[in-house]
Amino acid sequence: MGGGVVGLSCAFELQKRGHQAIVLEIGRCGGQASGAAAGMLAPYSENVEGPDDFFRLCRESLRLYPSWRDEVRQVSGRTFEYTDSGSLYIAYHEADRLALEGRRLWQNEHGSSGIVLEGDELFRQEPMLSREVKAALYTPEESHVYAPDYVLALEQACRLTGVRIFEQLGSVTVDKWREDVVVTAETGWSFTGDRLIVCSGAWAQELEDIFGIRIPVYPIRGQICAYEAEVKPVQHMVFCNQGYLVAKENGTLVCGASEDVAGFDTTVTERGIERLRKWNKQAFPFLEEREPFHRWAGLRPSTQDGFPLLGPLEESGGRVIMAAGHYRNGILLSPVTAQVVADYIDNGSRLPAFAPERFSY
Amino acid sequence: MKKDVWRIGDHVLTSRFFIGTGLFPSPYVQKEAIRESGAEVLTFAIRRINLASTEDDSILQHVEGENFRFLPNTSGASTAEEAVRIARLARASGLSDWIKVEISANERTLLPDPLETLKATEILVKEGFTVLPYTSDDPILCKRLEEAGAAAVMPGAAPIGTGLGILNPYNIGLIVEEAKVPIIVDAGLGSVSDVAQAMELGVSGVLMNTPVAKAKDPVGMARAMRLAIEAGRLSYLSGRISKKRYASASSGHEQFIVK
Repeated sequence: MGGGVVGLSCAFELQKRGHQAIVLEIGRCGGQASGAAAGMLAPYSENVEGPDDFFRLCRESLRLYPSWRDEVRQVSGRTFEYTDSGSLYIAYHEADRLALEGRRLWQNEHGSSGIVLEGDELFRQEPMLSREVKAALYTPEESHVYAPDYVLALEQACRLTGVRIFEQLGSVTVDKWREDVVVTAETGWSFTGDRLIVCSGAWAQELEDIFGIRIPVYPIRGQICAYEAEVKPVQHMVFCNQGYLVAKENGTLVCGASEDVAGFDTTVTERGIERLRKWNKQAFPFLEEREPFHRWAGLRPSTQDGFPLLGPLEESGGRVIMAAGHYRNGILLSPVTAQVVADYIDNGSRLPAFAPERFSY
Repeated sequence: MKKDVWRIGDHVLTSRFFIGTGLFPSPYVQKEAIRESGAEVLTFAIRRINLASTEDDSILQHVEGENFRFLPNTSGASTAEEAVRIARLARASGLSDWIKVEISANERTLLPDPLETLKATEILVKEGFTVLPYTSDDPILCKRLEEAGAAAVMPGAAPIGTGLGILNPYNIGLIVEEAKVPIIVDAGLGSVSDVAQAMELGVSGVLMNTPVAKAKDPVGMARAMRLAIEAGRLSYLSGRISKKRYASASSGHEQFIVK
């Protein structure tokens, strides 16, 4: 259930391993958060506190990405941008140095070759950066993809390997899930299978009553804007505590994300975009003069503890597998999620930290 | 019955829970947890805030329009000079003239530097700030901070974010006994039992972030902590029994036996 990046990735992986996958999508594949994402593959910049289980999952997914990317490109015959730009996490206060240094210390022990850059060296690496920036943690290992093209390639890879994809279903209802799986669409079509994999992102909560468990997944609206940029003005993914900037191959500079709580509303608001414009000119003064040419929003599926729900529902005897609640990291986590789901189906392995029933008591 | 309120400077507070805004898994959970905590005072690191536009800041925008008192902190500062500079920035932005002095020189333990903390407190008090220094749990040092004009003194229970609980309850008890300003236990608390213990020792309030924000259910934990504060406070006011070495019958019927 769900034709976003997570659903398509799971389908592709399972199909490769000899299963028959069916993707049920109420709208268009990649039509929600997946297509709206900026595509940052940044486990270090997204996890600043310490090496917890979520960080480990993110880092493992980054490790899997190059071979996953090659496979998706090769099977689909489509290409998509994947740029090893590295990232800069910038700081404006002297007082941030201690925190940057603390992060560097633990991240260096976990696969990052990050260093703290200052002064001339920093501005040589990122010439247009504001001279107000005091220091930055440079992490060479981080990359980014162009998410809309990646999702299209993934969809094509699925189709070409025999995944059956049903779109525009309007809505779907889970009729049976204990002995076997029956899902009925608004169109009247009925689908059966041995397993049900729930990849419905921010909408996963709708299944609480069906499965009789708590599914604390909440939509957080993320508003993003893009500038036209003929010559690449920003060399790295640049993060700060307010958001990020990343330049894409297609000549755009993407700035995100202004987060707010607005239910399932994906409207772009003036205030939301203004928030981005208020801080991004502090990082890159040339943006003061620019107007974004494109503005959009997506619903990030956040969870109660920040970890996704990933693994079998024990109550269903493993017939139902959840893969939802990836919040800000769905694109990054797509390869590892597909692997975790397929590994569970093939050999029963589980990751207790992400057990979907952990919120139910 | 008289309402159990307390004061920082002239500001009257009902809640004894100061909550940190960092580390929450999402703005939604943050909002709900803060609401459930009943906190009137929110604390955050100034270096994480967009001071040029505080109402649009990625954290503060989510508490806009609600009636909180802000307690910005100087975390990241390693000298008094730096802390003072950060405090001035915060006041100039119109956020608050309350300031939590937080100065640490060691990125592994983040333990407060007592000498620099005292120095910064002296300077900021002279500049008219309402100063709440975060400090180690040394009774004499806490007294010195009070004498320097701190509006409240905030000894740590244990290093920040460790959840180890009150490592030296004897000291915290002594600090409370000696103090003429509110004592707030800041940092190192992990669970409701730690919080209840702090309140039973007679502190005026507690400041927490990690134990709520990193709980499996931050909203549930915020409520649990609020109840623990209430229970601990009520226990303190009600007066616990003294400890005895041997059992004594709780029925106590001997005294009623008519001979």
